[in-house]
Amino acid sequence: MTPHCTPLTPAAPPQGLGPGAAAERLLRDGPNELRPPRGTPECLKFARQLAGGLQCLMWVAAAICLVAFGIQRGQGDLTSADDVGPGRLGPSRGWAGWMPGCQGGKGGWMVVTYPVQATVIREGDKFQIDANQLVVGDVVEIKGGDRVPADIRILSAQGCKVDNSSLTGESEPQTRSPECTHESPLETRNIAFFSTMCLEGTATGLVINTGDRTIIGRIASLASGVENEKTPIAIEIEHFVDIIAGLAIFFGGTFFVVAMVIGYPFLRAMVFFMAIVVAYVPEGLLATVTVCLSLTAKRLARKNCVVKNLEAVETLGSTSVICSDKTGTLTQNRMTVAHLWFDNQIHTADTTEDQSGQSFDQSSETWRALSRIVTLCNRAVFKPGQDNVPVAKREVIGDASETALLKFAEATVGNVAEQRSRYPKVFEVPFTSANKFQVSVHEAGERLLLVLKGAPERVLERCGSVMLKGQELPLDQQWREAFESAYAELGGRGERVLGFCQGYLEGPGEGLSAEQLPGEGLCFTGLVAMIDPPRASVPAAVRKCRTAGIRVIMVTGDHPITARAIAGSVGIISEGSETPEDLAARLPSVRPRRQARARVLTGAQLQEMEPAALVDALRTHPEMVFARTSPQQKLIIVESCQRLGAIVAVTGDGVNDSPALKKADIGVAMGIAGSDAAKNAADMILLDDNFASIVTGVEQGRLIFDNLKKSIAYTLTKNIPELTPYLVYITASVPLHLGPSRTPGPLPDAWAPPSPDAWAPRGRQALSPPRAAGAMQSFAGFVDYFVALAQEGWWPALVLGLRPRWEDTREQELQDSYGQQWVRLPYAAPIRALCPYRAASHPLYGPSVAPTHPLYGPYMDRTQSPYGPIQTPVWLLHIPYTVPICSCTGPYMA
Amino acid sequence: RGFFFTGLILLFYLVFYGFLAALFTFTMWVMLQTLSSDIPKYRDRIASPGLMISPKPDTALEFYFNKSDSQSYAEYVSTLRQFLETYDDSKQAQNIDCTPGKVFDQNDEAVKKACRFNLSELGQCSGKEDKTFGYSRGTPCVLVKMNRIIGLKPEGEPYIQCSSKEEGTVQINYFPPGGLIDLMYFPYYGKSLHAHYLQPLVAVQLAINSNSTKEEMTIECKILGSPNLKNEDDRDKFLGRIAFKVQMTE
Repeated sequence: MTPHCTPLTPAAPPQGLGPGAAAERLLRDGPNELRPPRGTPECLKFARQLAGGLQCLMWVAAAICLVAFGIQRGQGDLTSADDVGPGRLGPSRGWAGWMPGCQGGKGGWMVVTYPVQATVIREGDKFQIDANQLVVGDVVEIKGGDRVPADIRILSAQGCKVDNSSLTGESEPQTRSPECTHESPLETRNIAFFSTMCLEGTATGLVINTGDRTIIGRIASLASGVENEKTPIAIEIEHFVDIIAGLAIFFGGTFFVVAMVIGYPFLRAMVFFMAIVVAYVPEGLLATVTVCLSLTAKRLARKNCVVKNLEAVETLGSTSVICSDKTGTLTQNRMTVAHLWFDNQIHTADTTEDQSGQSFDQSSETWRALSRIVTLCNRAVFKPGQDNVPVAKREVIGDASETALLKFAEATVGNVAEQRSRYPKVFEVPFTSANKFQVSVHEAGERLLLVLKGAPERVLERCGSVMLKGQELPLDQQWREAFESAYAELGGRGERVLGFCQGYLEGPGEGLSAEQLPGEGLCFTGLVAMIDPPRASVPAAVRKCRTAGIRVIMVTGDHPITARAIAGSVGIISEGSETPEDLAARLPSVRPRRQARARVLTGAQLQEMEPAALVDALRTHPEMVFARTSPQQKLIIVESCQRLGAIVAVTGDGVNDSPALKKADIGVAMGIAGSDAAKNAADMILLDDNFASIVTGVEQGRLIFDNLKKSIAYTLTKNIPELTPYLVYITASVPLHLGPSRTPGPLPDAWAPPSPDAWAPRGRQALSPPRAAGAMQSFAGFVDYFVALAQEGWWPALVLGLRPRWEDTREQELQDSYGQQWVRLPYAAPIRALCPYRAASHPLYGPSVAPTHPLYGPYMDRTQSPYGPIQTPVWLLHIPYTVPICSCTGPYMA
Repeated sequence: RGFFFTGLILLFYLVFYGFLAALFTFTMWVMLQTLSSDIPKYRDRIASPGLMISPKPDTALEFYFNKSDSQSYAEYVSTLRQFLETYDDSKQAQNIDCTPGKVFDQNDEAVKKACRFNLSELGQCSGKEDKTFGYSRGTPCVLVKMNRIIGLKPEGEPYIQCSSKEEGTVQINYFPPGGLIDLMYFPYYGKSLHAHYLQPLVAVQLAINSNSTKEEMTIECKILGSPNLKNEDDRDKFLGRIAFKVQMTE
């Protein structure tokens, strides 16, 4: 079970494989690379689009219309060309439907596609080969800066450290050495994983797994095994299309029967039936949805959200729970000095990203001493050549705490380098985990200045006095208590606290050793507390989420106290909310802790919980924080949220986040910190890793739903005006003025501003076909129709009831209202061609007259316009209708 | 509450559709105001007239009759009689005699005068001598006329010419001679301005050869001699031409 722990037999083969054996194994195992998941071929996707429910209806309609056209043409009816209309639609609709599919397909599989070079030892010689040529049994060398080319078992190592954060989520560099330290391959020290980074040192190792059999390959295939959930908009549209198709067939059937009863031949009645079905089919819908989503995706990209899957845009809008990482997403991902304690008082430092906040009172002598210790007892230095860069943005050599202190000193006191040169360092004891402090000794005129920083309790042990306003006071019990309470308070805020003290030594600095340093009697100056502060935009974003009814859950690997503190400061746990532990402390007698609003759960607690208990906890506590969790537990949290019916957005960066990202309704990967696998599994990538960007995305997603509703409504308004001619045709015997061909598709309304209630909490969204706007368009259309006929010589009084004579093929001298006699074709022509009705019933007719101008507008070349132009006055006539249509469609659709 | 809401919705729809109906009526009214009752606003759709015949058989343009059975052609005869009633001299009292061969422009006149069309021009087909319009004698008459189009002024010397697809089956006589349509009947000024207008007629007498009886003949008539009157339109078989079938038995 644990092959990495069994001793190697034979012991390390230093000369490596022979080229023959390597080639053989390469043939057997395949190249050392991750295979992209098998996608559906494009042509299959296209075919699928062509065979969807509505499309089938369209195909049947097209076929029947073509047959009808053929028969009618055979019978010498030359006016039947319009019937071909639907025939053109099938393929074009298929195309429109395919396009979003194409969009979704892009992005593909991004994991490890870059060519990685590996140093391999074969038959004792070192070669540089492409990493994908590695085979099991190869001996490879890695050094700092390399990407590990396969899963390797370490044979020998010199200070080798790897960054496993993309795999395990641990951000600390991990030491690699030949000893097996754990049974789990993920925990043991003697395996370095494929695609992780070697940070420092060198190592020689034996390749044990290649390609998809590596740990990361297995996780990746696990991720691709998690099914993509159907997006709410897809479900909604499907549902909607079903309704529409049902209605279409119902109405078509009714009209078919009526037409048969009136005495139309079967074929003609069939064409009517098809015309109605086609009139009802919202063939612009898919295109509308696609364009809406694309436009929003584009807009999101400008706001640092790259959407990989178009439908995710909309899903984002219906998100009800966001599971967010802490570090880097909610916080700035940099340690910053947040608080100081000196002169028996807690001072608040400025933690804003741009140093725009309030600073504290710096007049005290104690501060001067403390700042000197902070400056001197610090090994971190700025990288050279950054004088023009703001302090917060400068790059520093040193660990996170020292960096924070260095930047803090530079920002508050200024010019650390000059200060340091005034007190040259003569001796230092670096920080170790054993002594938990750091000492340095500096020349200060005659005397030597000893400065010390470290764990506060360790520092205090060494102090005999304490500084108050520059005066040394004896460290009595009262001071100790003050210290304890300050330490507890700062620690309780989840901050990392360091103590600082100083002392003076006599004598020369040469030959000083650690044993000679005084173990007590130093002067305690103060505490400095650091934290990774929340991003400035996050509290507002969290507040926005709350008002929108979106729950924000923090999932972090950090300590519960820190997690709780950050959750409190960004508003995930609101002010005054108590956890069961708080309640227990305040009211020890109250037993059931269910009324606690907030709850902090640790990974360990999570592990012991039944899935049902977690769901229950999520239900009872609206404010949840998960601390010390492993990325694997994220998947459990996501699933539990989904079990509550929530639509979950999840952020993640590591490779092992990818199953959770896949499982979530919308996976959000971090653009900066994220691994390729996470980006691949995600639906959306945050370029700036900022939580607020998710909220922008949610906002846009909500907007898209509103706009989609509007666009769909506009798309559908045409149904009513396309249906009414048939109604009037049957009931008032008015000549039919619409063949079964089509109006052009509408432009979507994706440019609309967000409606004010976009941020109101909302439940499931439903689409409903609009009626009022359609009625208005019908009326407008009929005005156009009657007027256009009247202009050609057919007054409305004559037109009513004209149908039987109009359709009589022998009637070649039909008289209009002016006594002119028309042969059949010209009198059919004005109606067929005028079709201002079409224009008026056009979905865009309400919002805007202009876009339809090329098709219907006056002064357009008749040969280029399929329907013939509308004369100017009729065109002007549209305007009074646009006002009510515009004003009515808005509220109606809301 | 439910009742109140239903009422409110009904009220809304009442007001809404009332408003729509009002808007509909108003815009229609406004638009119809822009139209003249004399001449249609646009006349671009009918540039060239169609040809039509009288009588017009019920079924298709097919004449089936037995010359010895008066019942078989009674309907044709009565239709022709009825049609020619409007051309009766008594009905043409106020019509004037115009100058033949010239377009009769009267744009400036407030009241447009109609030109007289003498029935006698139709000769044997006028129904004066032969009350059966030749049907009883095997020489049936069919009147060919051009559809009325406002403002149409034919150019040249238009005339009607008919031919049988089956050669030698029929001899065709025209009244007026040569099937001429006189220009003085043009232009037409529309129903309201040109109240007593009578469109010129051409009678086509089909003298069916005695050995061709029982045969079905297809007669096609065309308007010729005028460059601005179309007669060859592929799509429209009635534009400047007409075809009908005749079958006579004894």
